[in-house]
Amino acid sequence: MIVPLEHILVLAGLLFFLGMAGLLTWRANMIMMLVCIEVMLNAVMLVAVGGSARWGNADGQLFAIFIMALTSSEVSLALAMVVYLHRRKRTVDTDLFSELKG
Amino acid sequence: MKLYLALILLLPLAGGLINALIGRMLPRKVGETIACGVIWGAFSCALLAYTNFTAPVTAEYGSWLSTFDFKAPIALYLDQFSLILTLMITFVCGLIHLYSVGYMGEEASHARYFALLNLFVFAMLVLVLAANLPLLYLGWEGVGFCSYALIGFWYTEEKNATAGRKAFIVTRIGDTAFGIAIIWMFLLFGTQSIAELNFLAPLAPPGVITVLGILLLIGAAGKSAQLPLSVWLPDAMAGPTPVSAQIHAATMVTAGVYLLARMFPLIGSSPTTLAAIAVTGGATAFYAATCACAQRDLKRILAYSTISQIGYMILGVGAGALTAAGFHLLTHAFFKALLFLGAGCVITALHHQQDIFRMGGLRGKLPAVYWPFLAGVLCLAGFPLSGGFFSKDAILGAVFERGGSLYTSLFLLGLLTALLTAFYTFRMLFIVFHGEADNANHQENGERTLPLVMTITLVPLAILGLGGGVLNLPAYLGEGLLARFFGSIPGFGAMHSSHMEELILQGIAAAVSLLGLGLAWQRYMGVQRSGVLAREQAGSKLFIFLQNGWYLDELYRLLFIRPFVRLARFLWKGVDETAIDGALEGLARLMGRLALLPSAWSTGKVATSLFGLAGGVAAILAYCAWALS
Amino acid sequence: MEQIIFYILAIVTLIATVLAISEKHPVHAILYLVTSLFAMAVIFYLFMAPLVAAFEVILYAGAIMVLFLFVIMMLDLGHPEKGLSPHWKEWLPSLLLAGISIASLTIVTVSRHASSIVSPVSLPIREVAKRLFQEHGLAVELISLQLLFALVGALYLGKQSSPSPPLRPPSASERRAGGEEK
Repeated sequence: MIVPLEHILVLAGLLFFLGMAGLLTWRANMIMMLVCIEVMLNAVMLVAVGGSARWGNADGQLFAIFIMALTSSEVSLALAMVVYLHRRKRTVDTDLFSELKG
Repeated sequence: MKLYLALILLLPLAGGLINALIGRMLPRKVGETIACGVIWGAFSCALLAYTNFTAPVTAEYGSWLSTFDFKAPIALYLDQFSLILTLMITFVCGLIHLYSVGYMGEEASHARYFALLNLFVFAMLVLVLAANLPLLYLGWEGVGFCSYALIGFWYTEEKNATAGRKAFIVTRIGDTAFGIAIIWMFLLFGTQSIAELNFLAPLAPPGVITVLGILLLIGAAGKSAQLPLSVWLPDAMAGPTPVSAQIHAATMVTAGVYLLARMFPLIGSSPTTLAAIAVTGGATAFYAATCACAQRDLKRILAYSTISQIGYMILGVGAGALTAAGFHLLTHAFFKALLFLGAGCVITALHHQQDIFRMGGLRGKLPAVYWPFLAGVLCLAGFPLSGGFFSKDAILGAVFERGGSLYTSLFLLGLLTALLTAFYTFRMLFIVFHGEADNANHQENGERTLPLVMTITLVPLAILGLGGGVLNLPAYLGEGLLARFFGSIPGFGAMHSSHMEELILQGIAAAVSLLGLGLAWQRYMGVQRSGVLAREQAGSKLFIFLQNGWYLDELYRLLFIRPFVRLARFLWKGVDETAIDGALEGLARLMGRLALLPSAWSTGKVATSLFGLAGGVAAILAYCAWALS
Repeated sequence: MEQIIFYILAIVTLIATVLAISEKHPVHAILYLVTSLFAMAVIFYLFMAPLVAAFEVILYAGAIMVLFLFVIMMLDLGHPEKGLSPHWKEWLPSLLLAGISIASLTIVTVSRHASSIVSPVSLPIREVAKRLFQEHGLAVELISLQLLFALVGALYLGKQSSPSPPLRPPSASERRAGGEEK
């Protein structure tokens, strides 16, 4: 372990909340929202790998790999959905999709 | 006896029910026959009861109200007074029913009319024959309801329906006082039987008796149209004329007099109450007589004359002269029914023209109406030797005998009223039947021929009215039949005065009556007639004041109706709409606004949900940081 | 030495991420993100996780980002002048929330007593694989199922079954009504 775990956590936190801020702000473009989600997932992976290195346990790495697999399926579905929605309304602005409104 | 009494009541009730339930399906003739037949059947039963009558009887038929101590059985009490009244009611109402057959010959809803008329008689008979106060009150209210329905019989016209409502509401004021008195009497004496109440009366403290008497007087004033509750009767002319006749002569307005006479042993022990009764009667008699002098509607003249005559009866009760009051009640029933039916004939003949100034000269055209009408006029005016003369004089004599400054002044007021009565009665007669015909009115319409049944019913009434004096001749002409018959009833004790005094009083009364006749003759029959009529049609200030009944209606409107309407409007607009509705609507609006706050967050957009999520994360983390540090 | 490299890489990652999320042009943003991911992969390698690092480069920077680029090009979204990018004011609330969260997290993390630096333990790939397939077999199966579902879903969504709506920008009423039309 080369650096204290806290530093890794702070870095991961910074990345995660930067991604979150971007996710909140980029509501006009669904692609960018997905990009921001990738950033957040990356931060989670960093925590998992850091933990794995800290305690010498392979489970953290395995979870990082799981997350990666999960991300790839998520991204493929999400992008298919973006295409679908774009086909419906010719836009990727999420504010124009308010079907959930009661 | 028990059977006769039951039949007297049940026959009109059955007739009313038959006409009400299936009258529309029956042929017109059958309905009319049933309606008239049951009344005459009741009259026959009353006659049979009279022939079998020996002593007062109480007949109990069943239990009606019975709760703990409170008992009000269906019990009838027949004594001389109620027997005579029953005879009079059934006879006069029978004639009125016959007359109605002719008068309402073209009316479409005859079933409703005759059903109500029969029920009216039934209610009045219940009132007269009841042995206890709740049953009497039942009849009392029944009379009120039937009068309401009959006054507003032609309810499609707003005016008539309003008159009906007015009668109902004004009499309701008196009924409330009467109801309070009934309950109070039960609390005091623990019984509702009239005979027991009269027997137990001396046990009650005098102050309570006075208040009870005043309450009963208010009740009687409401029903009998005495001051200050007299306003409904002139408007009650909106109903069909036979209904007016029935209300005025036989059934409704005499109920107050009957009640006071019936409860006289109870209330008679309080001089204050008696004075109040006498003053009410005297003032009403005078007030109505002045109003009658200025009316131009034939039926309104008769209405005011009824108020005036009932005032005399109340005055008689107040003077303790129950026999005289009952005597006047009888003769008044005959001649007032006669006058109303005669007026109905005139009105029918002139195509529902009621303005006396549009009449005139009918004597030659309607002789069959003129002569009976003249008989009625003589009675009403107290013309010497007519029935009305004796009965009115009996009352005035009793008031005079009573002595004291109050009763003496009331006697003088009564004499003045008698003068006015004679004046307005002959004024009516002269204007309507004498003089020149109003050609403009007559020629375009022509007189309608009257059904025979309408004129023939006037004859027995005229005979009874004129000869009614025989029933109770003054003492100097032999003892009166009624006085002897009533003598045994408590409270109906005979008045004793010297023959000389009585002769002098009768002389005065005759002179007054003749003076009124002379005044009217001089004013309406001489050369001045056309000028006087023109002046009266134009109307001077005093004339209009009297014509509007001293503006009593306006006084009511000013004192009660307008504040009430204003209060109601305030409660409606101010309290109900502004405060209550406003508060509720405001609350609903506030809730709606508040609901908009969270609902603004449910936009259905992804960004909003994400903001919520991020906010939650931030809040939880901030809490953790705060809790750890 | 390794610490310095870590901090340099951390700074690179952060800057690249900031640029990625604030870049108006989607293609540029993707490229910045690729940079960030490369730096992250190196960080993973420093943490004795060469397998994860390799996957990061191959899967993330390679496959997924290329997929993004495909979609951006296919839908012709590479036009920041169309006004899709947020105004700077729109950043304020999200940055506020993010700032609160980061500050709180930092406070929470730092307030714990600092853990000592332990010597890194090497985890050979063989051991990782053994652990993966021996202990997390079920998870592996679930992940494979999930990938299958994603494949089916993507195929279904991509199939042009319904007739495409008229090619026009959404009108104001549609913006308000949301998704009433189907």
